[in-house]
Amino acid sequence: MPRIRLAFRQDGPARFLGHLDVMRTFERACRRAGLRPAYTQGFNPHPKMGFAAPLPVGMNGAREYVDLELESEAPAADVAAALARQLPAGLTVLGARPVEAGGSPLMGQLGRAHYRVTGRAANGEKWDDERLRAAVERFLGRAEVFVTRRTGKGTKKKDIRPGIRSLRARTDGETLILTMELAAGGGGTVRPDEVLRALREEAGLDLVGAEVWRTALLSGDGRLLWEC
Amino acid sequence: MLEIEHLLPKVEKPARYVGGEYNAVVKDWDRAAVKVAFAFPDVYEVGMSHLGLQILYHVVNSREDALMERVFAPWTDMEGLMREEGIPLFSLESRRPVRDFDILAFTLQYELSFSNVLNMLDLGGIPLRAADRREGMPLVIAGGPCAFNPEPLADFLDAVFLGEAEDGFGELIEVCRQARAAGVDRQGLLRALAQVPGVYVPSFYRVAYDSAGRVREITPADESAPERVVKRVVDDLDRVPYPTRPLVPSTAVVHDRAVLEVFRGCSRGCRFCQAGMIYRPVRERDPERLLEQADEILRHTGYGELSLASLSTTDYSAIRPLVEKLVERYAGERVGLALPSTRVDAFAVDLARLIQKVRKSSLTFAPEAGTQRLRNVINKQVTEEDLLATARAAFEAGWLRIKLYFMLGLPTETLEDVEGINLLARRVLAVGDETGVPKGRLSITTSVSTFVPKAHTPFQWEPFLYLGEVRERQAYLKRRLKGRGLVFHWHDPEASFLEAVFSRGDRRLGAALERAWQLGARLDGWREHFRPDLWRQAFADVGLAPEDYAYRRYAYEDILPWGHLDAGVGKRFLALEHKRALAGETTADCRAGRCTGCGLCPALEVEPRLPQRVAIDAAH
Ligand code: SF4
Repeated sequence: MPRIRLAFRQDGPARFLGHLDVMRTFERACRRAGLRPAYTQGFNPHPKMGFAAPLPVGMNGAREYVDLELESEAPAADVAAALARQLPAGLTVLGARPVEAGGSPLMGQLGRAHYRVTGRAANGEKWDDERLRAAVERFLGRAEVFVTRRTGKGTKKKDIRPGIRSLRARTDGETLILTMELAAGGGGTVRPDEVLRALREEAGLDLVGAEVWRTALLSGDGRLLWEC
Repeated sequence: MLEIEHLLPKVEKPARYVGGEYNAVVKDWDRAAVKVAFAFPDVYEVGMSHLGLQILYHVVNSREDALMERVFAPWTDMEGLMREEGIPLFSLESRRPVRDFDILAFTLQYELSFSNVLNMLDLGGIPLRAADRREGMPLVIAGGPCAFNPEPLADFLDAVFLGEAEDGFGELIEVCRQARAAGVDRQGLLRALAQVPGVYVPSFYRVAYDSAGRVREITPADESAPERVVKRVVDDLDRVPYPTRPLVPSTAVVHDRAVLEVFRGCSRGCRFCQAGMIYRPVRERDPERLLEQADEILRHTGYGELSLASLSTTDYSAIRPLVEKLVERYAGERVGLALPSTRVDAFAVDLARLIQKVRKSSLTFAPEAGTQRLRNVINKQVTEEDLLATARAAFEAGWLRIKLYFMLGLPTETLEDVEGINLLARRVLAVGDETGVPKGRLSITTSVSTFVPKAHTPFQWEPFLYLGEVRERQAYLKRRLKGRGLVFHWHDPEASFLEAVFSRGDRRLGAALERAWQLGARLDGWREHFRPDLWRQAFADVGLAPEDYAYRRYAYEDILPWGHLDAGVGKRFLALEHKRALAGETTADCRAGRCTGCGLCPALEVEPRLPQRVAIDAAH
């Protein structure tokens, strides 16, 4: 059945939706738009949708992707226009294109993600570009950076250093801006909040009121999954 | 707009607090003369499942001169942060403090949400007691089923609305608008409101107590206040607006589906049921209109499930053609139908077959009591043969699981009736075996709740069963209902006890409620937050015994705390029904045109409405 790849932004109230909420919201928007999503078989059929990567609750996504499988052929531009009218506040369609038959799912293509974090230093602590750069350099110089992760059964230690591909920091007045490229997808995911936690514990950089954007989803070799 | 973004990452389910749902209405603040905040005294997921909210939201926002926004009770994590930072309770649409609104309208669905009402007022920076509110502060009103005995909240509410609000709410808005234009003060506004049929202003009534602390007299204390306040009822539902563009929550809520209200009221006359009494008479919607509405709602929401709502949907005159038509139209579009079944007969199974092509869930039946004698007492007209035949039909149609609902502690209940629950469940299980349901998959779930006497019902004079006795009967069933294929569910009766205290309570309880709230009571309807110890402390602190309320048996000549509030069904009829109950006599359903004389229709000048066109013609 025909598949349409959609690029969308998720921010405002929509960034507080969980992944299941986002799926349900797309499903209903499709139905309102008169598009017929294809459903899985079985006891609890659900629409066939493949997201590149679930966006963690609270994070903004500048350019997220989903493949929608539809029951009938429809021009991608029409699908985009119809959905744009039906999505609630905070979900914005950026583009759409058909996915060629046999094209590999988005999730499998994902290898890295790019993030931008803005916030202020806790307790009004003074950080200038010089000090930031030095702290980040020292942090990146470590062979291992362990964080504790909650798992189903308890907690376990995980070295996130290999998953941090790049990390930069600078100031803009009172605001601190961090950009990072982290491993994402099947090969292992490092989350930006883990990096922030490690920075606080290991480099004394404590960011508060942080706003996080996932700015790009990239393949393993660092290309945008889809440049639309 | 209040700044709350920084709190949201710290709370569970932040989507509760951000609004922005599809079909949400955000109106121009300055252009609405009257601004109403609809306050649901429970969390978002519960409130957003409530049809009354969707109806009023639509009714008010359709007006040029008014707007309505929503506010829900925050969960404890959010409340903590709001208090820490001094952020007042805010509406979801424009994220403004509730005290900026003209009207704060609570719906009272459940007695255990009363502490949330107080907590929300306090979080909103609004004085708890109506007497302490000054000019310019919102008018705090309440409606909903518990408003038929709002006495425990009397000190905290400026006004109460009795009955269906589709027409009356507009009149309330008019009165507020005119009062403001005329520069009338708060007291003057309340006087004007007291003139609106269905509006009760508690402060205009004086309640006198005898030496035992029981209500002796209730008298109007202001010339604007009528002797009795009579509920509002909409004569014809097809005449009033229905929300065909309901809010579509983005995050999961309790009932997340399209809702079609097929009729209002119920005439079966179960004697324990408050809804069955206060929502009389039965008024059905026209089936053609329902089909149109179904189409619009589905188109405007994208829901994959449509629920046919009412107190007893399978009683709708045109239910079979309606369901057939809906199935035929929407099966291809993957819209499932949900039909709460209350009837225990082959027809219910037949309908369930129509809508459930795959028998994935269980079927639920509510015999309510375990023996024929007790079912006659409560006027639940279901026989054991009905139930067993229905179960057989269900098993033969492919269902594997049946759920049975009962109440413990009904008036006149004996151990024989309790044992009857066990026997009935086992007989249903035996039917399942006989029909050849695979042993490992056959399951009969028995759920028991505790009977709570409610105002305006034939059992309003009856006491709540002693807590210790409730526990013993539960324990008895727990021992009996063991074995292959049997599942038993029950709830701790403490919460029902508190519900019973308030359901027939009087104004003095306001002090206990306020004290309990001070001690930290809130979200009492949530097991993890309900603190019976704290409530006991509160009653002790204000010198009241909750047992006096819950276990009280009223005499017919007693003044009931809600005696000045008129739900339409006459007290004489209720007393007659009560006597019939004790005599084990049943009363017929009045829907079929055999009026059983409850007095409502002549008093309110309405009549049951059953549509003329019961057959939906083929043109559709
Ligand atoms: S007055 Fe008669 S017809 Fe009307 S609700 Fe009562 S019993 Fe039914």
